Amino acid sequence: MDNNFLVIENISKSFGDNKVLENINLNISKSEFFGLLGSSGSGKTTLLRILGGFEKPDTGRVMLDGTDITNLEPFERPLNYMFQSYALFPHLNVFNNLAFGIKENFTQKEIEINVRNIAELLSIEHLLNRRIKQLSGGEQQRVALGRCLIKKPKLLLLDEPLAALDKKLRSKTQLELTTLQKKLKITFVFVTHDQEEAMSLSDRMAIMKNGLILECSSPEEIYENPKSLYTANFIGIANIIEIYKKGENFYSDDLGINFKLNKELKNTKTNILLRPEKIKIQSINNLKTSSFNSFSGEILEKSYLGSFTRYEIKIKNMIISVLDQNFNSNSNYNFPKGEKVICSWESESIKVLED
Amino acid sequence: MKNKLFEKYFVFSPYFWLVLFFFIPLAIIFKISISVSEWGMPPYQDIFLFDNGFKINTTFENYVYIFSDYYYIGSFVNSLILALISTFFCLLIGFPLAFYIATSNIRLRNILLVLVVIPFWSSFLLRVYAWKIILQNNGILNVILLNLGITSEPLQLLYNQYAVIMGIVYTYLPLMILPLYGYLNKFDLNLIEASKDLGLNRIKTFFKVILPLSVPGIVAGSLLVFIPVVGEFIIPEMLGGSDRLYYGKILWEEFFVNRNWPGASALAFSGIIILVLPIVIFQILYSRWSQKNEI
Repeated sequence: MDNNFLVIENISKSFGDNKVLENINLNISKSEFFGLLGSSGSGKTTLLRILGGFEKPDTGRVMLDGTDITNLEPFERPLNYMFQSYALFPHLNVFNNLAFGIKENFTQKEIEINVRNIAELLSIEHLLNRRIKQLSGGEQQRVALGRCLIKKPKLLLLDEPLAALDKKLRSKTQLELTTLQKKLKITFVFVTHDQEEAMSLSDRMAIMKNGLILECSSPEEIYENPKSLYTANFIGIANIIEIYKKGENFYSDDLGINFKLNKELKNTKTNILLRPEKIKIQSINNLKTSSFNSFSGEILEKSYLGSFTRYEIKIKNMIISVLDQNFNSNSNYNFPKGEKVICSWESESIKVLED
Repeated sequence: MKNKLFEKYFVFSPYFWLVLFFFIPLAIIFKISISVSEWGMPPYQDIFLFDNGFKINTTFENYVYIFSDYYYIGSFVNSLILALISTFFCLLIGFPLAFYIATSNIRLRNILLVLVVIPFWSSFLLRVYAWKIILQNNGILNVILLNLGITSEPLQLLYNQYAVIMGIVYTYLPLMILPLYGYLNKFDLNLIEASKDLGLNRIKTFFKVILPLSVPGIVAGSLLVFIPVVGEFIIPEMLGGSDRLYYGKILWEEFFVNRNWPGASALAFSGIIILVLPIVIFQILYSRWSQKNEI
């Protein structure tokens, strides 16, 4: 795959003394759905605005499809930007909002055809004569999307595309957005603070913090093998345990148990990540604790989540989260609060966070 | 119940105000404008006479007199042109300023707003008088121009219609900026970015997005400047010359110099009707239009 469709090179940006982006490098392929995930203040929106041409970077350059677009004005760039607020023109109806960007270069007839096509694609044909204030949030989102897509951009930038929608509509729109992107094969780069949204939409995603990219990979890779403590905590639920070398194995003071790893460590002391669904939870009657990679603890809290039950298990000074799939057809069967249980895991499930 | 009554009166208080200080005086002026003038105090006859039975003593002579003499109509036309030009220049200068203020950060914005309002803290008369000092033949502007060698003799900057326009634009500019600012303040700046993103350059963005969405602010500011300028008396009197006569001046002279109260009243009443009627019609059409367009 051509990995050089969108190349972001050494981009830095400060507002006054505040360094918002520091030396950002990213390569994004054609037709990729790429997510920028970070909490507020991570610089993700600034990076997107630099791509859109609304901010000029202090250093570095942006190459799109082989051309340097760093110094181009927004109206000269072959890309479009979907605003979080949608920024639809309140003085124009849906038709004219959709046609806004193509009015100059097309005849009236071509405009009509293009608008009809895009409206059909997004199933908003019935809204063309409506005014913006008469639209629901989801309809506004479609019009905003259509207004960009009608220009057939090489790259579409989306700022928190689903943030303004309610939860139920969001998951529906999520699916539609991915289907649409795969169909049109336009490169999408979007910004979000919502890790679930980033995971479900992105082909690849970058985790940003304080103006830096911490990690850039597929959602699976980032979830399963995060490189940093921050990412491990940011994505999903994470049990972070500090361990140190003790003889053959590793030992955790917090849990008071031994860990057996299937790889060697650089340092004698490190943090490890244990995802809650990797931990097996069993009744204490069934078996004894083994000398490593298992412990017995007491169930402190439990919350029933439908397909899973989440347990908070107390052992020594720590509380470990465990997700247990509800295999049992008898949904009443759960470990009750206060029960002693045994937790265990495979050596492969232990992820070492070296940084 | 008591509260409701209070609310009712509170809501209607502007109307009481309007009746008390606009409609009643207007009715009095109308009454004077249709009465017969005479030498005396007041310089007009009563419109209801009771000496030999009841008699209505009115005349439309005053209106005929005004409308048959181009001296009066011409001055009114002059004032309308002056108001149009001044409003245009206020808009031309005020719009970019208001836009800049509305889009700058909050600290700068507050400083700039105070700067806009500060002239109101000093007397209007003094400020216009200050322009007289700046513009006169041995005034500061001419001294600078002479010393720089741009001109060899003092320019006649004062006592002409240009000085009047300048003075009016200077005085009325805040009245244009403030309502415009109030409207532009709510402007979603993303709309400008969206327009640029969709391929429109700055000029096209201005005409396709910023201008159409600023219409209510422009209308409010323009009316606030246009209406009082038509009747403006002091600025043409102080900065203007004999090259042009304006409505306010003629009104003053008719009233205080010629002591022709009925004529002056007829002039004032005609002026109000000519000015207010089109504006009311415009407002009705405009509010319908803006409701339709949801601006």
